[in-house]
Amino acid sequence: MNDGQGARRAALGCSVLSMLLIALAYGLTLVPAAAPAPAWGGWLMALGTAGLFASLTVLGAVRRNRPWRAVAWAVGFIFVVIFGAFGAALLLAPDDASSALVLGLPLRAAIVIYGIGVVPALVLPLVYAKTFDTLTLSADDLEQVRADARRAQDEMAS
Amino acid sequence: MQTAALPSLTQPVVVGVALAYFGVVAAIGAWAARRTRSASDFFVAGQGIGLWTLAIASMAATISGFAFIGGPGLIYSIGLTAVYIVLPASITNTVGAWVLGKRLRLLAEVRTMITVPDAIGARYRSPTAQGLAGVAIIIAVIGYTATNLLALGLVVKAVFAVDLTTGILVGTAITLAYSASGGILAGVYTDLFQGAVMALASVLVFAYVLMVGGGLGGISQSILPADPTFLSPWGKLGPMAALSFFFVFGIGSLGQPHVLHKIFMLKDPRRLKWSPLLTTAALMVTLLLFFGVGIVTKGLVASGRMTALASPDDATPMFLLQFTPILLSAIVFAGVAAAIMSTVNSFLSIGAAALTHDLPRAVGRHLPNELHIGRIATTVIALVAAGVALASGTLVAFLGIFGWGLFASTLVPSLAVGLNWAGATKAGAVASIATGILVTLVFETLGYLRVFTLPAGVSVSGLSLVLSFLVFFGVSWLTREQAPGDLDPDIRVVLNA
Repeated sequence: MNDGQGARRAALGCSVLSMLLIALAYGLTLVPAAAPAPAWGGWLMALGTAGLFASLTVLGAVRRNRPWRAVAWAVGFIFVVIFGAFGAALLLAPDDASSALVLGLPLRAAIVIYGIGVVPALVLPLVYAKTFDTLTLSADDLEQVRADARRAQDEMAS
Repeated sequence: MQTAALPSLTQPVVVGVALAYFGVVAAIGAWAARRTRSASDFFVAGQGIGLWTLAIASMAATISGFAFIGGPGLIYSIGLTAVYIVLPASITNTVGAWVLGKRLRLLAEVRTMITVPDAIGARYRSPTAQGLAGVAIIIAVIGYTATNLLALGLVVKAVFAVDLTTGILVGTAITLAYSASGGILAGVYTDLFQGAVMALASVLVFAYVLMVGGGLGGISQSILPADPTFLSPWGKLGPMAALSFFFVFGIGSLGQPHVLHKIFMLKDPRRLKWSPLLTTAALMVTLLLFFGVGIVTKGLVASGRMTALASPDDATPMFLLQFTPILLSAIVFAGVAAAIMSTVNSFLSIGAAALTHDLPRAVGRHLPNELHIGRIATTVIALVAAGVALASGTLVAFLGIFGWGLFASTLVPSLAVGLNWAGATKAGAVASIATGILVTLVFETLGYLRVFTLPAGVSVSGLSLVLSFLVFFGVSWLTREQAPGDLDPDIRVVLNA
C-alpha cells in the first residue's frame, strides 16, 4: 500500500460523496411524501458520517509516496465502528423492560455507547502514537520541513 | 447551557471552596500577568507550553458548564439523544490530530501564527478569507461568551446568595481580570488547574452515581419500565436528531478555534505524538458526570426516590445536594465555575485576537502594540457580552445556540480540508466561509422569530455545515486553475509534509 497519492484522491471523492449522503438525508426530511424518511435518513446519516470521518482521516494521515498500511487499519476501524454500531442500532429490535442488559445498558444502547463512545478511545490514540514517528512527523521530517520552508521563503524574497 | 436559576447552594463549605478556588485562579492570573510581555505571550502563550498543559487546556476549553449542568439536564429531558453531543469525543481528538494537528503546528514553524484565521490567510494567500473567518469568530464569541457569563452568574448567585446582576458582574470581573492581564498565558495555566478540578469532580460524582443508582444496571432497570424510549440508542428524539448531533459535534470539532489555536502554543511539534491520548483520556473522564448524572436522576425520579425535577437544569444540583457529601457538591460547583471560566477565557482570547489582529490584516493594516490593544479588546468583548447577558435571557439563549455551528461551518472546510488538499482555492474558502456565516445567521434568526423552522432532526448547524462543505468543493473545482497561485511555496512545504 504505497500509493498515498491515489488514496488521498479517493478520500477527496469519498468525502464529497459522504457529504452528499448527509445532504440527501436532510433533504428527505423536507419531503413528506418520502416517508418513512426517518429509516432511510438514519442509514444515510450513519453511512455519510462514517465515510466523512474515514475520508478526512485519510486526507490528513496519509502522506504522498509513503506506505500507509497502519493508517489504513485505523481508517477501516473508524468506518466499521461508526457505521457498524449505528447500523446495528438501526437494525436490531427495540428493547423493552424485559430486555437483557449488557454492561448495564440495553443491547442497542450498549453497542452505541461502548462501541463508539469507549472502544475507539482505547485504540485510536495508541495507533496514532505508535505510528507517529514513521508516518506523521519524525525528527528528520521536522528538520526537512524547516529547511525546505526556509529555502522557499528565500526564493520568495529574492 | 444553564439559563434557569439553580437551587440555593449558600452553605459555608460551598462558599469556602468557591473562595479558595477563585483565590487560586487570581494567583495564577497575577503570575501570568507578570510574564506576559508581548502579543505572542498574550495570544499564544509565547509558543512555550508543554504537552500536559496543551492536553488539559484543550479539554478545559472544550468543556463549558454545559457538561456539568445543561448536559445532564438535557439527558434527563430527551434521553440518550443528548449523549450524541459528546459521543464523538472518543474519536475526534485522534482524527483531529491527524487532520489538523501536525499541519497547524508546522504552519507555526514556518510563519508567525497568532490565530486560526492567520492559518487560513496564509493557506490561501487571502486577507479576505482571514477577515471573514475573523468576523465569524467575533460573532460567535460574543454569543458564546454571553451565554457562559449568564451561566457563571447563576452559579455565583446560587453559591453566594446574591442577585443575578451581581453574579454576572462578579463572574465577569474575575474572568476578565486574569484574561485581560495575562491573556491566554493566564488561560492555559488556569485551564490546567481548572481541568484537574473538573476531572476530579467528575470521577467522584460518577462513583456516587453508581453507588446511589445501584450501578448502571440498577439505573437501567429503574428507567426501562417507566420510559423505555429514554434508553433507546436514539433517545426520545429519534435517529435523525441523534445522528445529526453526532455529525455536527463530531465533524464540527475540527473547526473550533478556541481549541485549535492552542496547537500553536506547543513548544515542540513532536510532542503532538501523545496529545490525542492525553486529551481523549481527560475528556472521557470529565464527561462521566455528564452521562452519569443525566441517567441517574431519571432513574431516581422513575423509582420515586427523587421528586420530578421542576427544571431539567436542576438535575446536577439536586442529585448532589440530596445524595452526595456537601464537600463534593462544593468541588463540583467549583468545577462548574472552572469549566465556564476556562471556556470564557479561551473565547475572549480568540475574539480579541480576531479584532486586533485578523480584521486589521484583512484591510492591509497592522496595529501597533498588539499586546496593549489586545488587552483593551479583551475588556471590550467581555463587557459587551456581559451587557448582553444582563439585558435579555432570551437573547442569550438565541446567541448561544449557534456558536458551535458557526465555527464549524466557517472553519472546517477551509481548514480541515484546505490544509490537506492543494486543490482548494481561495475562492472556495471565501465562498464556504461566507456560506457558513449567511446560512447560520439567516436560519437561526428565522427560527428564533418563528418565521421558519427546520424539520425535526435537521439543525441549522448541520445544514450550514453541509452547505458550506459542498460550496467549498464546488467553487474550488470551478476555480481549480487558480489553485497553484493560491499557495505560497513555504505553505506548500507544510501541505506536503
